Amino acid sequence: MAKIVVIGAGFAGHTAALYLGDKLGRQHEVTVMSNRDVFGYVPSWVWVGVGHMKPEQTIFKLEPVYRKKNVKFVHAAVKEIHPEKGDQYISGEMVGSNEPVRLDYDYLVVATGPKLNFEGTPGLGPDGGFTHSICSLPHAVKTRDAYLALCERMKKGEKVKIVIGTGHPAATCQGAAFEYIVNVHKDLVKKGLRDKADILWLSNEPALGDFGVNGVQVKRNGIVQKSDEFIKSVFNDHGIRYQVQTGVTKVEAGKIHWQNYEGEEGSTGFDFSMLIPQFKGQPMKFISKEGEDITAKLTNPAGFLLVDAKYGLPYPELSQTPEAWPAQYYNPTYPNIFGAGIAFAPPGPISKPFTNKNSVAIAPAPPRTGMVSGMIGRVVALNIVDLIKKGEMTHSERMTEMVAACIASMGDSLWDGNAVVIVMQPVVPDRKTYKNEFGRDLFVSHLEMGVSGAWMKFMLHHTFIWKFKANPGWTLIPE
Amino acid sequence: MEFSPQEKFWMNFKLYQLWRFVVLNFKILSVVQKSKRK
Repeated sequence: MAKIVVIGAGFAGHTAALYLGDKLGRQHEVTVMSNRDVFGYVPSWVWVGVGHMKPEQTIFKLEPVYRKKNVKFVHAAVKEIHPEKGDQYISGEMVGSNEPVRLDYDYLVVATGPKLNFEGTPGLGPDGGFTHSICSLPHAVKTRDAYLALCERMKKGEKVKIVIGTGHPAATCQGAAFEYIVNVHKDLVKKGLRDKADILWLSNEPALGDFGVNGVQVKRNGIVQKSDEFIKSVFNDHGIRYQVQTGVTKVEAGKIHWQNYEGEEGSTGFDFSMLIPQFKGQPMKFISKEGEDITAKLTNPAGFLLVDAKYGLPYPELSQTPEAWPAQYYNPTYPNIFGAGIAFAPPGPISKPFTNKNSVAIAPAPPRTGMVSGMIGRVVALNIVDLIKKGEMTHSERMTEMVAACIASMGDSLWDGNAVVIVMQPVVPDRKTYKNEFGRDLFVSHLEMGVSGAWMKFMLHHTFIWKFKANPGWTLIPE
Repeated sequence: MEFSPQEKFWMNFKLYQLWRFVVLNFKILSVVQKSKRK
């Protein structure tokens, strides 16, 4: 009987756990260790942050779902991973009681998600800082309360400055920030307060609509349409000002300090700000048999797990080498350890990085959330099933092969809401397969805005929660 | 750069959007099925 442990129960970990439980749960031991006992449907936290959705509508308890799939659940935080053959185990602390816990494993899936590195930008974040975040549910609730308090001030006639975007020169997840800024705009329009707010998009992207994936390009009526023009139209239409190529370096009360591509230093005032922090790997240690800390051998400097990627290629070479992106997400030193979702170390950025004359690297990190996380979780799970049943892995999917769909909400109303429907084939450009300057299939890739997008976003919320609860037919719903 | 009045009309015209809803769902599902997921 094999022992499989999954650390983390987000999109990647939970997907992996469901497939593992479904295919191995009866004959083998599948265990999920997570410091949260609920699954959080992250894409809908944008609506929590403007007070349009109750927090409890975005979460559900994990244990009853895992019981259905013969998966054990341990509500604990991981501290150490002991990866050496003969004595492979993880150790952690139970949440609440702080009792030590040890789980032996034959296969380990590291799907811990990101550590929100607010410390990377002095003054950033809701805990001791001056800005807000929608990256966790407690943060989204706090953001909602601050936003609604701001609306009360506006109702009294006060004019305010709102700044939304990224809070670190190397931050990722611009898509979530984009959804939030447009939802704030729509909400203020509905409340009759839009004229009281000056809204600014502040981002580290090389261009508007880059989203950390080098933008989205589609061919329509023979003409190539790019996401920068599209998002520019959205912002102009909504009266949202924008400033890109900018890395936030420090935040003080009511003031955001930044540097841009030209090396200029400046500051922007704000009354309310939601800025996405830099993501880092979760702080856990890998320990050798001799008790030595070998974390640096298994992770990159940001703390993400090294996998079967080609690391160290300069950007111009990486952008021409699709096979540099990992296919099976196993650690080369310890091949029974897999990294899934945000936890794996990408070989480099997707968007062109830039370092200004002050040596500040302003470069969005590659997004690996949502659909991409789920797909990697499935590949990893199916390969572990393969290894146990056949002795070899048969599944692989690089981000240079993956198709991803993203529905960016622009107001949740089913009558006059909106959303941008984005399809990318592939997520990371593959210039060897697709012989155009963008490295994408311009026919399959899609960019469209309309009320139908809002209906799709609403539908996705319900179908994905159905899927993640492992309700009947869950495997038919794509990740 | 802004959306033209015609573009805005079609973005909000419910019958057309119902058609787009069907087309987009079909497109996403067919693309996913043609991917390695199969």
